[in-house]
Amino acid sequence: MSESFFSDATKQWQALMQQSAGPWSELLRAGAQSPDAFEQWSSAFRKESTPAETIERFMQGARDYVAFMQSTLGAAGAGQDGMSAWLEPLKRAFASQGMAGAMFNQPFAKLWPAQHAPGVNPFAATMPFNLPAQPANLQELKSWLSLPAFGLLREHQERQQKAAVAWVEYQEQAVRHNEQMLKAARRGFELFEGKLAEREQPGRQIESLRALYDLWVDAAEEGYAEVALSEEYREAYGALVNAQMRMRAQVQQEIERVSADLGMPTRGEIDSIGQRLQALRREVRGLRGGDALVDEIAELRSELDALVRNTVREALGEKTDVPRPATPRKRATPGRARAAEPGAKRAATKKKAAPRRAAAAVAPGGFATRIAQFADASLGGKRKARKPEAAPAKAKRAKTKQ
Amino acid sequence: MEAIKIDPAKALDEVLATQRKLSVALDTLHKMDDVDFGVTAKEEIWREDKVVVYRFRGERAPTAKVPILIVYALVNRPYMVDLQDDRSLVKNLLAQGEDVYLIDWGYPDGADRWLTLDDYINGYIARAVDAVARHRRVRKINVLGICQGGAFSLCFAAMHPERVQNLITMVTPVDFQTPDNMLSNWVQKLDVDLFVDTLGNVPADLMNLCYLMLKPVRLNQQKYIGLVDILDNKVEMENFMRMEKWIFDSPDQAGEAFRQFLKDFYQGNKLIKGGLKIGDREVHLGNVTMPVLNVFAEQDHLVPPAASRVLADHVGTKDYTQIAFRGGHIGIYVSGRAQREVPAAIHDWLAARAR
Repeated sequence: MSESFFSDATKQWQALMQQSAGPWSELLRAGAQSPDAFEQWSSAFRKESTPAETIERFMQGARDYVAFMQSTLGAAGAGQDGMSAWLEPLKRAFASQGMAGAMFNQPFAKLWPAQHAPGVNPFAATMPFNLPAQPANLQELKSWLSLPAFGLLREHQERQQKAAVAWVEYQEQAVRHNEQMLKAARRGFELFEGKLAEREQPGRQIESLRALYDLWVDAAEEGYAEVALSEEYREAYGALVNAQMRMRAQVQQEIERVSADLGMPTRGEIDSIGQRLQALRREVRGLRGGDALVDEIAELRSELDALVRNTVREALGEKTDVPRPATPRKRATPGRARAAEPGAKRAATKKKAAPRRAAAAVAPGGFATRIAQFADASLGGKRKARKPEAAPAKAKRAKTKQ
Repeated sequence: MEAIKIDPAKALDEVLATQRKLSVALDTLHKMDDVDFGVTAKEEIWREDKVVVYRFRGERAPTAKVPILIVYALVNRPYMVDLQDDRSLVKNLLAQGEDVYLIDWGYPDGADRWLTLDDYINGYIARAVDAVARHRRVRKINVLGICQGGAFSLCFAAMHPERVQNLITMVTPVDFQTPDNMLSNWVQKLDVDLFVDTLGNVPADLMNLCYLMLKPVRLNQQKYIGLVDILDNKVEMENFMRMEKWIFDSPDQAGEAFRQFLKDFYQGNKLIKGGLKIGDREVHLGNVTMPVLNVFAEQDHLVPPAASRVLADHVGTKDYTQIAFRGGHIGIYVSGRAQREVPAAIHDWLAARAR
């Protein structure tokens, strides 16, 4: 959206406000319905290309809230006294199908069309959510769709009928789900009345439209939660999602066939390649022995380095280091990874390795001793050769420090 | 006494004031810059496919000898732990002297559709743990799992206890079938195989719709009406927009991993009932024998406290601590109280076990 668009829209809104604020106040006090200036103004944005999602959400929330305020205030201005002046319009709105009524009548169903957002339900354009369809009509339609097919194209016709039945069944479940939403709305209003009754005590009374709205939200959410956590809703929700998936699957199958006819790669083929690729990667890791083996070798190399270093230092009479536990190793490729190696195998590898290293370190005349001898030889007799049995003790201490 | 005591004149003023604020709302929103996030400097230390492990850099060198690896959920982006300068779990942990690493899962696409929980837990997480251990030249590291990442961390710790020094779980579901778990109620009758076979990867928008419908009026409407009150506060607006971006900046879910997570965790509740297998390995929480700190939120609408609290009954460790945080699922990272309490609690707990 361009900057000038925003500027124009704001000016338009301000002009509407100027035109309507004065007379509207009078109208409100006279109990008439307020002009829906906000609705007119905000409709300008719907004509533009896709607005930012946040702005759209903000606008939707604001539209509903302003509608709530206007209808409540308008009805209250009709001259009724006391609480009924506020509550009656809410009740009327609850019973009606109007703009404000939608908030109370079907607030959750109204929010549910969000499921038609791109990526959530790509077939939304062909499926208006608030269907006038009656379950009885849908049943009749289904019975027509189950007629047998004949001839050359019978297979095609059968598939298309199956897809159509899936579509009808989804509508049935949508109707069922809407009934649950209506139930939640009714329960919310019952709770709202209860909450209002609690506010009759001095100091707890509601003194602003915003407080009234917030109280309604609390009640609506509680009513919704009761329904949404019920066993009945669990069934309805599961049936709705499953029906939608069956319908989508049918449509996808048709698209697969058409794509294949046109010589295009299909999603099924790509999925198949992806599945094989993942399986192959796991197998390659397994054949390599997995990262566990590579780690083990790196660890052994690291400890060997440390042993050599320490032995040389001991031979020089210097303080020794604690052997390094592991050295970062360079990977051949970034994508190389550990095999899905069974735990038992990995554990066994470690168990075997540990005694081998210990033996190398402590055995008289073993690896460490030979390294010490090598170091002595390398130093050309500058230092006095240590006794062979001294090395194991040092190695043991180093091991303990780990 | 009447419950509603609204002065009509004042109510009219309220309506007009709201409309006045709304009249400038779009100008304000339009003038806002793009929000940024992820404030702490970091370096990449390991990468495989779309998964990256970062090490964060604090203002001073870490004093902790054992690093922490944060394992975040797959369902949202991990920068929630480092959202902005004054709301950063990472920054506060670094300030305490901890050495913090994080797994960024990236955004799975069609190529990742066949990644299983085994690939994630015994694959990516295991290799990320190795990478951090090598980077710091230690044998074991501390693992901090968050939400779904906490459940993954529990599985990892149970299968590889020798590689985890201490385990910290935050807002982590353990019992997936508590009576107040709305998400769980919704998926019990789902034909998960049909669902994943049809969708392949599960679209992020679908996931977000489910989360929004947990509290539909509050999250779809009341929240945006509240925005009117902060329209003239640039800082508050930026905070709001940053959070808004995080909420809807969601990755798609790899199909096979999603299939198993729903079937075994939500429908089977196998993490506590038993019978959970990740790849070839069985997961027994009794094998979680390292010290465990379990932090959960008392007002969590996604992971009810009861779903987390039950961990105490199932882990094998004798050193178990739990902290109930007063706040919600998101507040535990970003609220002012969280900044003061949570990092300090984690650090103190770790420090006590480092002696």
